[in-house]
This record gives sequence, structure tokens and C-alpha cells, in this order.
Amino acid sequence: MEDKTILHLQDLCVSYVQTGHEVSVLKNISFSLKEGEVLSLLGESGSGKSTIAKTITGLLPPSARIKSGALTVAGHLRVNLTQRAILWNKIRGTVLGMVFQDAQLALNPLFTIKEHFREALITHKIGRASDVLPTAANLLKLLGFTEPGKVLSSYPFQLSGGMCQRVCIALTLCLRPSVLIADEPTSALDATSQKEVISLLKNVQRELGVAMLFITHDIAVANAVSNRVMVLNEGNIEEVGETQDVFSRPAAEYTQKLLAAHSIRTTVSAPQGLDAKPVIDVVDLNKAYSKNNSVIKDLCFSISEKEIIGVLGPSGCGKSTLAKCIAGIEPINSGEILYRGKNLVHLRGRMKRELCRHIQMIFQDARASLNPRYTAIQLVQEPLNYLNIGNKKSRKNKASTLLKQVGIDDAAKFRRPPQLSTGQCQRIAIARALTLDPKVLICDEAVSALDVCVQTQILELLVHLHMEYGFAILMISHDIRVLRYLCHRIAVMQCGAFCEIDSTDAVLSSGKSPHTKRLLECVYEM
Amino acid sequence: MSKGKPPLNLIAGIVIISVICVLVMGAPVFTHYNPLEQYPEERLSTLSKAHLLGTDRFGRDIFSRTLYGGRTTLASSFLALVCSLVLGLLIGLTTGMFSGTIFDIIVMRIVDVLMAFPFMVLAMIITALFGTSLMHLLFVVAIIWWVPFARLTRSIVLQVKNETSVAAAKVLGANTRAIIFRELLPKVITPILILATFELGTLILSISALSFLGLGAQPPNPEWGSMLADGRAHFFQAPHVLLGPALFIVLTVLGLNFMGEGLRDYLDPYEIIKL
Repeated sequence: MEDKTILHLQDLCVSYVQTGHEVSVLKNISFSLKEGEVLSLLGESGSGKSTIAKTITGLLPPSARIKSGALTVAGHLRVNLTQRAILWNKIRGTVLGMVFQDAQLALNPLFTIKEHFREALITHKIGRASDVLPTAANLLKLLGFTEPGKVLSSYPFQLSGGMCQRVCIALTLCLRPSVLIADEPTSALDATSQKEVISLLKNVQRELGVAMLFITHDIAVANAVSNRVMVLNEGNIEEVGETQDVFSRPAAEYTQKLLAAHSIRTTVSAPQGLDAKPVIDVVDLNKAYSKNNSVIKDLCFSISEKEIIGVLGPSGCGKSTLAKCIAGIEPINSGEILYRGKNLVHLRGRMKRELCRHIQMIFQDARASLNPRYTAIQLVQEPLNYLNIGNKKSRKNKASTLLKQVGIDDAAKFRRPPQLSTGQCQRIAIARALTLDPKVLICDEAVSALDVCVQTQILELLVHLHMEYGFAILMISHDIRVLRYLCHRIAVMQCGAFCEIDSTDAVLSSGKSPHTKRLLECVYEM
Repeated sequence: MSKGKPPLNLIAGIVIISVICVLVMGAPVFTHYNPLEQYPEERLSTLSKAHLLGTDRFGRDIFSRTLYGGRTTLASSFLALVCSLVLGLLIGLTTGMFSGTIFDIIVMRIVDVLMAFPFMVLAMIITALFGTSLMHLLFVVAIIWWVPFARLTRSIVLQVKNETSVAAAKVLGANTRAIIFRELLPKVITPILILATFELGTLILSISALSFLGLGAQPPNPEWGSMLADGRAHFFQAPHVLLGPALFIVLTVLGLNFMGEGLRDYLDPYEIIKL
């Protein structure tokens, strides 16, 4: 029983047709999955891991071409993937179940959860109509819902992201698939729900004995979930093996690189005389989007010159709002924000723009923060145009110097954001923020959307620039790993207030407040 | 930056429109007849080598009248389009930027009223009050035709003004003018240009229709719509009198629609990396 292969993929080659030419995304991928086993597909974005999942469920976009490949599922169902007409309905759902990254988008907002279950079961003719509710309720209970009845009559938008993902898992499992394919099921969730969903998923998987293909970019998650790991890089299999073996003795160079990038170590030394003058003072800051919805409550803290301070907290705790308030793009309800003793709150027009140039911000989605119509070099010159600094030539020179400093080569200088990688976009965003010689740089989840290797590069770049220019950094993140690497102090935020603010070591080694403890518990350690 | 080959419909549209423009603008080269000169002995003669598209009821050469008439139709439609496009863009950008303010509310209610008002009826009222002339017609067009541009611009601005790139520009010190013209306008301009090509087609039809009703260009000046109206009476005896203006109207509108669709496919900046 133990060694029975439930899914076998042979020689899969897939390419995408992109503006006339073909780009090969998967090269000779073969692997098999045994009954009850969890196999993690680990790789950076663009490595082809999602394409594998889409190929074996027949969900590839029309621009994809399958060159070769054969799929054997449940021992007897053989499919030649190059064929055009494949009866996917015999395979999808009942044999291969799929869980998507964004559960809220995967569910239809016009149907209640009950109707989702009914549709799935009736379409596949499993059980009678009267069986739908008990089956669904049982599964939901298994996935940790205490009141399945209430969930069944809700609409997807009434549930949180974590709840939606658990509903999706239950929906997939109600058809009793032999293999569960989970494509980054927790990447869209914050740390607390991630931990919850993963442990539930693991329990259910063990209880029902389904095999699972778990797709992730997160090494720690792969380590926690899987029996075996397959490391993918640019469409090639770099390494396959038992999880323990791969992570303790990585054979492939690429795996070693990934692991090294994951375990970044502290390199920033604390600045001399931290009790130097504060550059930013936040006094009794209050912010509410509507009368009863207070986002930030009586927040007080200060950032010293040349300090790197981290703000840690779950999604929805008000971290991003705080960043926007300090950057001056979100009006505040009461309180003061002082830059070197000058209150920024009531400033308007030119005065405000002159002072706020010293406080710059980079965003999570670097590509979205750049106007797609301008080239890299134009984008970096923009702030100088806005504030009318220098002449045409000096602006261009400054932009070129900065782009060189952040590692954008001459060829990439004249490209537009859609033609650049996410890492390059973030580099351009950093260069653009530095054109105005800021004294404070706010990074709102600035590396969260990046792959581990790129993430490490950007963090190194930030540290390097910090040393050179000596600006203070307010680093907002939900990722403890990033903050540990970068920050002198960490503030833990919960429901719009800081529950703890102390040196990095103090917070991360012996968090005093219960919130900090809970956040620390949710981190997967290697 | 290479964007790949332009789509076929864009090329077809540009070719059709260029040919028509060359014919219309170079009218004296392509025909030696004066569009107003009458040859009573050749009334309603059919297509021939001498008169390519025949003659009308006064013996005027239809090919020549079509080419010269195109000048009036195309120039007036284009002028009206540019006026309404600029007006619509400005109104759309400002109302979108300051959405929810009194200014926005008042302007949008004016837009609602103009949308509800039948264009033809308004044109008739104005010409009844001020007399029929092409200038009055253009005036009517300009005060009503900015509405679709303003509405589209406003809706796009409402979508994009909360995008990260606009927030980033604010942090970088952009003032309202810079945000409107450097951040929002580039994002609005492509869909507006595409809408403009479609609207120009409709505009040519409308101006021709109003001239057909006698509200636009006045005889004896040639204009495609009024030429159709003129030839209507002789349709059963000499159907060719309608051929010239009708053919040119159809081809122009077709070409503009091709251009609009082609531009839409071609100008999307994300099309470059779309898989």
C-alpha cells in the first residue's frame, strides 16, 4: 500500500508563445506522487511550478503549447497531454482537486457556501441532494469551523481570507479526490491564518489519506508541510528528495543559494548614539476611515536619525495606514507628526511639499507604484521635475548616477516598467525615492512581493544605501525574518496601537506582550 | 522599443482614411470640374469617363462635388471633435480628481441633462433660434459632444487616482497639476483617442444627417449629407446621384472604426508582456 503511485507525470515540456516567439517554461519534467504523500514544488516565481499544476488540471491559457508529456492518475487513467480533446471532467474534481492561491477570488460572490457545495456535489453526481448539507458540515468541522451551519449560509465576502481558504479546501475534499493540488494556498494570508490553514490542511490530508502536491515559494513552509521536496528553477528540476535530506544536505547549487538567501544574517550594526535627535516624532496620532472604524489610536513614537525601525503586525492592524499618514498622503484625525520639530499636519501646498520631500516611501507593489508609460530614467527624474530642482542636464545626470547605484544597467534604463522584472522595478522605486535626498525612508512591505533571492539583494541594497546616505528607515513588514535582518528596533502593532517597542533582540527573543508571543509562534523556523 | 507588428485592422483603417484625405485635400488635382459649375445639358447623366460618378439635377459633376464636399464634412467634424475632446478631457480630469465636491456634482448633473436631451432636437431648436448655418451646427455639436469624453475620462480617473503610482507621485512632491497632467492624463489618453476615432465616425454621420435635414451646410455649397438630401428626389430615375457621398461616408466611418479597434489592440502598454 505504502508505495502505490497515485500520480505519475512523464516528460512534460511546455512553452508559451509570447509576441511571436516561443519561450520554453518546463523542460522534461517527470515525477511521481505516492499515496498519502506530500510533495512540495519549491521554486521562485517564473520557475514553472504553477504551470505544472495548470497542465495536469487542464487549466493552461491558450498561449501555452504542450510539446510532450503523459499523465497517469490513480493507476489506470492514462492521459496523453499533447492531445487536444481530453475529458478533463473525468479527472478534475474527483481525481485531482485543486486549491488556488486567492480563495476569495476562487469562490463566486453571488453564491452562498452551501450553494458552492451543492454545485460541486451535484455536478459530479455524488450523493443525493439531501446528503449535501451533512457532508459539507462534517468537512467544515474537520477544517476547524465550530459553527458550520453559519458558514454554509454565508457569502464568500462575509468570510475572512483564511476562512475562505479553509472553505475552498473543504469544497475540494468533498469530491474525495485522490490527489490534492494546492497552488500557494497560504501566500495571500497573513502569518496567523497561514499557520492555522497549514496545520489544518496537514491534519485533514493525514486523516483522509489523500496525496498532496503542495506548490510554494516559501522554504520554511515547504519544510513544515512535505515529505518530499522538488526544487524547480527555470523549468528544470534541480533536485528531488526527502525534505530532511534536501534541506540539511542540499546537493544542487541552486538549492544552496535558495537556502542561503533564506537564512539572511544580521549585518547592520546599531548606529552610534541611538538617543540622538529624533528625526520624526509621532504624537497621539489618531486616524479613522469612518466614525466607528478607528484604525490608529493614540500612537506615540519617534524615529532617531539614522535609525532603522521595524513595525511588525498582522494584516489589518494599521501598519500601512501609519506609513501613509507619516508620508503625508493620508489625512489624520488628530495628533501631530513632527519632522525635526516642525509639525507636518497642517501644512498645505508648496510648504508641505518642501518639507515632505525629506520623507520618502517605497511600496509593496513596485511595478504598480511606477507609471507604466515612462522609462526608468524618466521615472527617476520625475521628483526633480515636480519640485523644479536643477536643469534638464543635471536631472538626467543625477538619475543616471542613482540608477547605477541601485544596480540598473544602461540597457534597462530606457525600458518601461512592464518590460522590467519586479526586482528591477523595486530598485527603480528606491532610486526614485533617493533623488530628493530623504532623511527618512518608509518601506511599506517593500520586499514582501519578491522572491527570496531578490528579497535578499534588495535588503542588502537598502543596508548599503543606508550606510552611504545615512537616512532613517521605517520598515513595515509582517515578516519577522526581514525585520531581524534589518532593524535596530522593532515595534509590534496590534489593532492600531503599539503593544511593544524595544530593541530587535529584546522583542524577538523574549517578547513581553501576548501579541508578540503569538506572532512569534506563527513563524516557521527551519 | 518594439511593440511588434501593428494589427491588420489598424493598417487597413489608416490606409482607407489616408486615401480619402488625399482625395479630398487634393481635389483640384483629381478633378478639373468646379463643384458649383452647372452644365444644364448634362443633367442626371450616369457614370461615364467624363463624369466619373455622373452629374446631379443641375448637371454638376458629382465626383468633384463629393471631393470638395468632403472638405466641409471632414473639416467640420474634425474641428467639432477636437473642441469637444479637449473640453471633455479637461472636465473629466477635474471632476474625477475632485470627485464628490460641489463642482463635481453640479457638472455631472449638467452631463445627465445633456445626455437626456435628444441631439437632433437641440440642433433643430438652435438653428430655429439662430438660423441655419454650418457654424451653428458646429456650436451645437461642441456643446453636446464633450459629454462621452468627460464621462469616460472621469470614470478612468476615478479608477486610477487611487493607484499606487499616484500615491507615489504625491509622496514625491507632485502638486495637483502634476498629478493631473503627468500621472492621470497619460493613462486616460489612450482610451480617449480610441473613443475619439469611434466618435468621429458618429459625428460625420450626425453632421451629414443634419445637413440632410437642411440644418447644416447651405446650398449650393457641397456637403455629403446635403448631397444625399439633394439626390433623394431623383433616386428612382438616377440612383447614381447617391453613390458618391454615400460611398465616401461609409468608407470614412468604416476606416475610422478599423482605426479605433486597431489602436485599442496596439496601444495597451501591458499588451507587450501579456502571455
